[in-house]
Amino acid sequence: MAPTTIDRKRKAVTRDVPETSDAESEAEFGDGLLEGILSQSEDSDDGSDEGSEDEEEEDNELDEIETLNSDEIPSDDLESEGEETNDGLKKSNGTKANLLPELVSPSSLEEDKPNYTITTDANGGERYVYGEIDPVYDSDDSDAPGTTNTIGNIPLTFYDSYPHIGYDINGKKIMRPAKGEALDALLDSIDVPNGWTGLTDPATGKPLNLSQDELEILRRIQTNELPEEGYDPYPATVEYFTGIEEIMPLSAAPEPKRRFLPSKHEARRIMKIVRAIREGRILPYRPPQEQEEQEEEIHYDIWQDEQSRPDNIMNVPAPKMLPPGYDLSYNPPPEYLPTKAEKQTWESTDPEDRERDYLPTGYDSLRKVPGYEKFVKERFERSLDLYLAPRVRKNRLNIDPASLLPKLPRPEELKPFPTVCSTLFRGHEGRARSLAIDPSGIWLASGGDDGTVRVWELLTGRQIWSAKIGDGEAVNIVRWRPGKDAVILSAAAGEDIYLLVPPVTDPETDASSRELLDAGFGYATNATQALTANGARKDPAAKWTRPGSRLEDEGVLIKITVRTTVKVISWHRRGDFFSTVSPTAQKSAVAIHTLSKHLTQIPFRRLPGIPQTVQFHPSRPLFFVATQRTIRSYDLQKQELVKIIQPGARWISSFDIHPGGDNLIVGSYDRRLLWHDLDLSTRPYKTMRFHSKAIRAVKYHKGGFPLFADASDDGSLQIFHGKVVSDMMENATIVPVKVLKGHKVKSALGVMDVDWHPREPWLVSAGADGTCRLWM
Amino acid sequence: MDITMTDSGSSSSRQGQVQVHFITNSPDVELPEGKRQLLVPTNVRRYGLSQILNSESMLDTPAPIPFDFLINGTFLRTTLEEYLTANGLSSETTLNLQYVRSLIPPLYEASFEHDDWVSCVDILSRSSVAGIWDGSEVVPGQERILSGSYDGLLRVWNKSGQSIATSASSSAGGHTSSIKSARFISPTQIASSGLDRTIRVWKYTEAEDHFSAELKPILELYGHKGSIDSIDVHGPSNRILSASADGTIGLWTTLKKSAPSAPAELLTSGPSAKRRKIATSTSTPQRGPLSTIKSHTSPVAAAIFNPLDATIAYSASQDHTARTFDLTTSSLVDTRTTSHPLLALTALPGISSQLLAAGTSARHITLLDPRISAQSTQVMTLRGHTNKIVSIAPDPESNYGLVSGSHDGTCRVWDLRSSRYGTKDEGGGLVGEAVYVVERESAKGGKRPVGGEGIKVFGVQWNKDVGIVSGGEDKMVQVNRGRGVTRPDTT
Repeated sequence: MAPTTIDRKRKAVTRDVPETSDAESEAEFGDGLLEGILSQSEDSDDGSDEGSEDEEEEDNELDEIETLNSDEIPSDDLESEGEETNDGLKKSNGTKANLLPELVSPSSLEEDKPNYTITTDANGGERYVYGEIDPVYDSDDSDAPGTTNTIGNIPLTFYDSYPHIGYDINGKKIMRPAKGEALDALLDSIDVPNGWTGLTDPATGKPLNLSQDELEILRRIQTNELPEEGYDPYPATVEYFTGIEEIMPLSAAPEPKRRFLPSKHEARRIMKIVRAIREGRILPYRPPQEQEEQEEEIHYDIWQDEQSRPDNIMNVPAPKMLPPGYDLSYNPPPEYLPTKAEKQTWESTDPEDRERDYLPTGYDSLRKVPGYEKFVKERFERSLDLYLAPRVRKNRLNIDPASLLPKLPRPEELKPFPTVCSTLFRGHEGRARSLAIDPSGIWLASGGDDGTVRVWELLTGRQIWSAKIGDGEAVNIVRWRPGKDAVILSAAAGEDIYLLVPPVTDPETDASSRELLDAGFGYATNATQALTANGARKDPAAKWTRPGSRLEDEGVLIKITVRTTVKVISWHRRGDFFSTVSPTAQKSAVAIHTLSKHLTQIPFRRLPGIPQTVQFHPSRPLFFVATQRTIRSYDLQKQELVKIIQPGARWISSFDIHPGGDNLIVGSYDRRLLWHDLDLSTRPYKTMRFHSKAIRAVKYHKGGFPLFADASDDGSLQIFHGKVVSDMMENATIVPVKVLKGHKVKSALGVMDVDWHPREPWLVSAGADGTCRLWM
Repeated sequence: MDITMTDSGSSSSRQGQVQVHFITNSPDVELPEGKRQLLVPTNVRRYGLSQILNSESMLDTPAPIPFDFLINGTFLRTTLEEYLTANGLSSETTLNLQYVRSLIPPLYEASFEHDDWVSCVDILSRSSVAGIWDGSEVVPGQERILSGSYDGLLRVWNKSGQSIATSASSSAGGHTSSIKSARFISPTQIASSGLDRTIRVWKYTEAEDHFSAELKPILELYGHKGSIDSIDVHGPSNRILSASADGTIGLWTTLKKSAPSAPAELLTSGPSAKRRKIATSTSTPQRGPLSTIKSHTSPVAAAIFNPLDATIAYSASQDHTARTFDLTTSSLVDTRTTSHPLLALTALPGISSQLLAAGTSARHITLLDPRISAQSTQVMTLRGHTNKIVSIAPDPESNYGLVSGSHDGTCRVWDLRSSRYGTKDEGGGLVGEAVYVVERESAKGGKRPVGGEGIKVFGVQWNKDVGIVSGGEDKMVQVNRGRGVTRPDTT
């Protein structure tokens, strides 16, 4: 019931009264005559008896009227309604009877004549018969506030807690008007007048309302019609030709035959289509809906055509800022907070080296977070970075450094090799220039700037014997004669080469050594002297003499004087020949001496360059001469040049031949140590540059260990493992195993000479600091 | 039966206690069966444990015997608690404490100064081999120390550092070059050898007051072509065994009559030697070797008699081998090859399997089993020296101890019972570490020089009555002796 009442009430307000008749009222009140009253008294929930009684009374009265004016039965319900209301009003307020027509219907005012006729009733009295009231629209005052709230002048808020808002004049509750949608709809329909725009016309200053025509135009536009008013989009067809056979046609020509024959042209076209359908060229129609749906879902990727530009050093995109993570939170989880150590390392590192430029910090509430002091700087830097930073792509080489190293055995696996200084030989004043271990491995001979040759006990470092051979001249070189049958030491000081027999051996060996040295006396005098072109005796290359009784007592037995300072002595393996080098000599730089004949020969008339050092080949009759840049090997038997080895060094200081005879190490003053495989090439097989100063001496171990060592002016010795395999296909493996440090550098000179023990992996070195050292 | 030692101080009540089981290999100090288990406080050290063992309730020794304690082959050097913590042991475990007579820390006693490097030392005392061979002629307090020097002189010292006798110089029949080795054959006879390739036998006669003596050369033995680096003597058979740098081993007799004549070619040397010989006024009989054995290919560093059987000799050489010889036939019996040149050799006869201890140039001592049946050549390695080991002597009181002298300037005392398994770098096997290090008194406290320069030890001997005697490059004979036996262990 409630919705219907609401509906009805609204209808009443909107004055659509005639539509409000429904079955209920019809059932109760028969005809719809009383609708107007009903609609106004209906606010009460339960229909009141009084009201209905009144209505019945009125009904009765109406009946009377009807009976009186049966001809003038009102055709319209509204008219009778209005009449009855007026009737009711007149009854309640009789004085108003005249006023009513004036008030209610303006149309009645047009007629000045009275609205009634006076007749006599049955009693003979006057009876005013009123005329029919013209039921114009406005005559109905049913929209007047019929139900007035009778609660008086009190605030309606008093009724807030009730479902009703007051009482009507009949004492019935006036229910609270509906709210929400209905009310909104009501307001929509009432408040906004047609054509209201809410704008102000600037020309007049009044509210700008649209006129009816303009609204009509708008309506047409909205309904996709032509805005023009008079245009009819659908005019009635004007038929120029009709199917009606006219009685008098314009042309009397009979129908042409083609009107009856099917069109060949069309047949041809149809067949074409049919054929196309059969062949599948024309596909059956497909509804376009799917496409439309698809089209709706298309999202355009504006970067779809973007192509990655090739890497260019000029085209490096700016790095995107990372989205903030948990650690940027004002209260990050504890695992994101740095530990004390992390904090310390972060603070201690340079800002440029930090992995991230902030430190996650936790605050238990947002209000405790301090201002971000770096904000401006950070933005500024980001802007600068985006705007100005020249971006260069860094190609980082992610190569494991270990993988670049050649696969070499570990030094620990290559033991034994000398590692520590085991004995110190101190005694030389000034530099110790040269040293050598005797073939038995018990004695060490050394020569130094003080002009002495000393012999030491190798293991204990005890000086056994000493002889001063150079008068103010340094002993440049000491070398033992190879072979165990005799103990002979050769030493050179200045232009003199001395052959010594130190008294460290048993009398038998001592005697044989002396015998060996003395055997040559007499040969030189018997030999025919070479004559020069003018017949004069040519000056011999060297003089073999006794050194004098003082030296002879000390064990110095033979003195060989050559023309210039001898720097190098090199013995042939058999012990009968030795070669000396005097680099400053022009022609007689290299001399070969024969011990058994006391003979000195100059094998080379002219050498290409200043000779540095010489070596005899350990097994073949080859003789190697090193000049500053090349090493030449000569065949002594055939007397011809065999090979020229070019190490590529600028100044060769020394070289040594592997006991196998096929490999060579070369040390140079330009800090390089070069390994040559004589079978391979004249160029070095391996170049090692590990020293910071010149290399003075190089030496292979001759007693079976695959070791070689070099001595450098930087005061260090380097030990290498250099294994030569008899297999021709395999190259030598060279591994640096140890750097021996200990010699002090004095006046830019470090280690002067180096030698190996004949059997053990023990090394001796002579230093510019005046000491010799045994390393084992 | 458990005895709780509560009298060790009030702190023991707060400290934990641990059950220990005392065991020993020495039957004379063995505990009775019931007293071996004991609950001891964990805060005691070696000294405390030694006191416990010496207490009345335990061994009840008249004079306290200092003991050392071995747990699992390692000497206890900390408190028991620290040992338990370091090894992750619970204090409820029972510790097996092997107690041995303590190695008394060898404290410095005296130094005898020389003019030149001291190459070798020997001791004559009641307990030295020469004294034992001779019977009881050596009076306690009359112990003698013999030293050979690089100046070619032998010196005999008494224990208070007085030089009783000095050998003759080269002109008077003495060594013409440095002495390398010298030994007492008997209290009246001394043998020495040196760089002059001779062995000289001296008659040593002391004056009545024992403050002066005479050294008279009685025999010169020729036969080696190289320096004679080491000799060993056997008094009862008057034999001398020599090792020479020429790679031979010589067997000699000290009896003038039975010795063969000297090889003539070795007697006359070069002109200088000839002149020296002319200057020699005295004429000492010259003899040759009974036999020379040429077996080694490199200088022989040491040759020794088997202490139990003088017909067997052992030798160590720089050719990496230790060889066994039968002296009656002068034949090689066995060769043991090691990986390094050997520079010193001594025999440890007391151990059931007789051992040879050889010092190497590679800074360690190798223990070799010379028996032919032995499977492994190297029994144990003693590591710790930093330079060549050139002299080894056995502990006179223990079968397991030895002392070594090295060119690094230290003597080290080793106990073979203290051992561990070596790491891979050390080549595995059993590795021992030094118990005590005896520094040179002349260079004490200073930084060790490179190559042992100036402090090298060339010879060491250990005697029960004298102590550890060592001589070296500092021209000193240094005597070290254990003292302060009952003092708490300070290590």
